[in-house]
Order: sequence, then C-alpha cells, then structure tokens
Amino acid sequence: MGTLLERLPLALLLAAAVAAPVSAEGDRHEFHVDASAGYVSASTDLTTWTEGGFSKLRYADDGFELFRLFGEYHGRISPTLRVHVVADYLEDASGGLDFTEAALDWRPIPRSRNQHQLRFGAFYPGFSLENGDRGWQSPFTYSYSAINTWIGEEIRPFGAEWSLRRRLQGHRSAHELRAFASAFYGNDPAGTLLFWRGWSLHDRQTRLNDELDIPPMPYQTRPQHLEPFMETDHRPGFYAGGEWRYARRALVQFARYDNRADPYSFSNGQWGWGTDFSHLAVQVELPGGVGLITQWMDGTTEWLTAALPNGTRLPMSQYAQDRFESQFLLLTRQFAAKHRVAVRYDTFSIERPAAVPVLYSDDGDAWTLSYRIEPTERFSGGVEWLRIDTHRDVWPLFYNLPPDQTEDQLRVQFSYRLAAPSRR
Amino acid sequence: MLEIGVVDDQGKPIADVAVYATSRSAAHAASPAAGPAPRASMDQQDHQFVPHMLVVQVGTEVTFPNSDDVSHHVYSFSPAKTFELGLYKGNQYPPVEFDQSGIVVLGCNIHDSMLGYIRVVDTPYFAVTNEKGVARLEVPAGDYAVEAWTPRARPQDTPAAHDVSVGAAAAEAQIRIGGRLAPPHAHGHSSLSWERY
Repeated sequence: MGTLLERLPLALLLAAAVAAPVSAEGDRHEFHVDASAGYVSASTDLTTWTEGGFSKLRYADDGFELFRLFGEYHGRISPTLRVHVVADYLEDASGGLDFTEAALDWRPIPRSRNQHQLRFGAFYPGFSLENGDRGWQSPFTYSYSAINTWIGEEIRPFGAEWSLRRRLQGHRSAHELRAFASAFYGNDPAGTLLFWRGWSLHDRQTRLNDELDIPPMPYQTRPQHLEPFMETDHRPGFYAGGEWRYARRALVQFARYDNRADPYSFSNGQWGWGTDFSHLAVQVELPGGVGLITQWMDGTTEWLTAALPNGTRLPMSQYAQDRFESQFLLLTRQFAAKHRVAVRYDTFSIERPAAVPVLYSDDGDAWTLSYRIEPTERFSGGVEWLRIDTHRDVWPLFYNLPPDQTEDQLRVQFSYRLAAPSRR
Repeated sequence: MLEIGVVDDQGKPIADVAVYATSRSAAHAASPAAGPAPRASMDQQDHQFVPHMLVVQVGTEVTFPNSDDVSHHVYSFSPAKTFELGLYKGNQYPPVEFDQSGIVVLGCNIHDSMLGYIRVVDTPYFAVTNEKGVARLEVPAGDYAVEAWTPRARPQDTPAAHDVSVGAAAAEAQIRIGGRLAPPHAHGHSSLSWERY
C-alpha cells in the first residue's frame, strides 16, 4: 500500500508524458504553481497539533509562515482521458515534497442524456463544497470548515469512483441528477486524528505518504505516527451518494462513507478505525449575489482501546464507539469581482453514546471571518480571523488545563499563482 | 418592421426569448441565400456559454471560441445537431454548420455546470427580446407566422404560431407565454464554485 501511494503519482505523470505527444489537438499539459505566505498571530494555551499537541489551530505561535506551496498538473492522454496530480511542499514536521492527489479521470462523450465518469487513483470524494479552487483550496476562507479540514486530513480513498450524471429534458434541462459510488482501499486509520486531537480548522492537507504526529492520549493503541491512508485489514471501503443540481443556482448532495475497517486490525504500525458517516451538503445562490454553503456530517468511529505496540490485544481491550458530528454555515459575497467577504459558523462534537460519559468528548464551535482581494490573476491577498471555543474534559484530567479553551488566530496572506500555458 | 412583445401570464415582459417570423407568402419563403453562409459565435467565458441562448438561421456556421484559461470540451447530443469539439482553448476548430432547424442543447464534458442553447430557425427573420420583452424584426411587407421560444417554458406552454400581416407601416404583435416559467439564467459571475476540477 505504501509503495503504491508513493509510485502512483509518478506513474501517472510518466503515462501522461509518454501518451500526450500522441494526442492531437490543444494543450496537452497544464501546470499551475501556487505559493502562499504571510503572517500569523495566534493565541492559544495548547501546542499545535502539527507538533503532536491538542490545539485545533495549525499555528500556535506568532510569526511569518509559508502556508502552502503546491503544483497542480492536468495532462491529457486522450480527449476523454485525463491525469490530475497535485504535489505539496511543506516545511513542518513531515515536510518536504509529496503528493496530495493523483488520479486518472475518464469521461466518455455522452451519446444520450446519461453521462458516465470514472476516476481511478488517490482523490478527494466530491463532498467538500468549499474546496472548489485549485489544489483543493477554498476560495472563501483560508482555514477550511471543521468537516472539510478533517476530510483534508484523513479522507483520501485509493480506488475507483463511478458516477452517472443525467440532465433532464427540454425546459427541465437546467436540472440534473447525479449518482456516484466508489470502492477503495486504504484509509483504514481514518478517525484516529479526529478522535485523539478532536476537530480542527486549518488548511493543511495530508499528503499521500505523510506521517503525522498525534497528541499523547493515554491509550496503548496510539501509533507512533499516523499514516491515515494505509490499509490494515484488506477489506475495501466504499462511499456512495446522490446529487441534484439546478443550473448554477442550487445543489443538494447526500453521501454515505464507510471505510469498513476492522478495529482489531493492525498493520505496519497503523490501527484500523471502523469509520462511517452520513454527509449532507447544500449550496445555493441567494438573491443579492450572496452565496450560501452548508454541510452536515454525522458518523461513528469504532476502535480498540488497549493493545501492545506490536498489535497484541491486552485482556482489558475493548471496542469503543464514538460519535462525531459537525455542521457549518458559510455566507459569501463578492464585490466588484476583486473583493470577497465570507463568514462561517461551525459547530462540532465528539461523544461516546454508551456507558463512559464525556471524558474524551470534544465539543465546540468556531467563527471565521475573511476578506480577500484579487487585484490581478496572479496576485491575491487577504486577512482571516478565526476563533474556536472548545470544551474537552480530557484537558484538566491529563494536562492541567481548564476544560474550556478559546483559541484565536489572525492570518494575513499573500498568494502568487502561475499558470502554464498562460491565458491567451 | 415588426415589433413583437413577449409577456408572461401576468402580462410582465420576458427578456431573452427567441422570436422568429416565417413568411406565409411564397415570394418571401426562405430560400438558400447565395453567397457565404451566415456566421455566428458561441463564446465560453468564466465557465459559461455566452450568450446563454443563440438564435441562428439554418445553414449558419457557428464558431465556439474558448476565452477561459482552462480547456473545454463542447458537445451536443441533440437530434438537431450532434457534434463534439475535443478539449481545446482559444479558437482552434473550424465552425460547425447547423443545417437543421430545432433546439440544440450544449454542454461541456469537463465542466458539468456549463449549459447553453442554440435555437436553429428556418428563416432569416429572428431576434431575441430585450429587457422590456421586445424584439424587432426587419421584415418586408407580407404575411408572417411569428413564433417565440425560451428554454424557461415547458414545451406544452410554448405558444402556437401567431399570424401577423405587415404592411407599409410598422406592425406590432404580442405573444403570451403561459404556464410556470423556470427562473431566468443567472448571467455573470457566481459567488460560489460549481465545478469539480
């Protein structure tokens, strides 16, 4: 699995390089490079989770930061077969260069109102309505919502996705219906970071081979490092759902995800977490040029509480089942095409439905305010204020901190974007 | 000249409606015009077809320039014209001839939210209603069958042909499109993202 995730992106790039000269017309290769840096001012008593702490912020200290440096490549093997690869350079603990996405996309030309699409590789499921910009960025805020932050951290199926889109007829042709289904490998540890650290709001996407630090929760099943896209039990997972769209005005999507991981499974230092969730996403173009996005997620994760580091179960080992839930509402509006404001309110929780009450719960909400300006196609900048209020009972118990924490982050960002070939 | 007003059930004007007049008199009946075929253009800007609806006469050659900085893959499976223009930017394809009257629905194989219409009519006399719901057709004197079409109306609500006689003076006529209309196409930039990449 590990070697597959390492080799797939390079194999796809090679395939595109070899096959593209055979393809006839147009631009066969499209490259985008995007660099974002700026200043962060953070206020929190916790250590950032990227250093193995409990803070929900990506940055716990003030200072200048390279937020993101990534390259995106679209290659065309044939007019209907495309390659999509995104690589990120990071400067944090598991830094360096690695890929976040690598997929083949086949879209045969429709011969009827039914349009099929097949994706293969490591890709994001299309749940995240915020992340429609290049490199799965959000054009609205710098920090993603709690739901989409978690999808960026721990959800990256390695497999195939089939979708069928059907545009209705005649005067209803502005309406379209879509069904999608995916079977995938890997992604068995998904849920680990969510449970141990709790929900989070930031823009760090886990790369395919990242080894993440995780907070020091007192369980034996805590791995040394988290590799969320590993396969631990050789049972494929799935997701499936449906979508209705009305022109560029309204979209409603429902999906079910289940990695079908065996919580007793242990492989290559990674534990399986049986994680499933329901997801509802809605976006609407409101009057007055105001855009609204809301997503809702409700799921459970099953895991093993005690074992030796080599995977041997201890006598007191037991399943634990935790329920996680989050939703957000985002409103955004553009002014004179160059300016954008956005406001988002998130709520999130993790709780254990059975017996042991709230000890490991995570319960809170967050406000995000953002302003961006894009004076040219290459340059953009903006400022974002984020406040997260959280209640966790584990903090006073193990870390001598009050159960209620408020974390603030102010982020000023400048971005430079380069495309090749450039616009004609 | 013929001035056509198009209104809905409440008598409110409807913009962006295709209006076309077919001559009833044999002398003016549509005949293949000598000389080069008429030309028209369906642009792609900001992941949308511009205009959202294009009206052309049978035999018109339409170009599909792509003004976006990403490739589009334009196609139609409509019976009136089935075609595809594989992934491209700029204006690298020869024009497509629309040789049959009817409704052509356009899509992009990459960008699901792109939707456009070409209404192909068998007459040189056509126009699109303005903000006041009015279209003006420069027609010679004679008898005409006037029709109106918009993708917003259900097929059963599309009005029947309207007979109008045009003399030396300008003639006026009003066409009513009944039933429930779909909301108008949202022109311009959207504040949200509608595409998967």
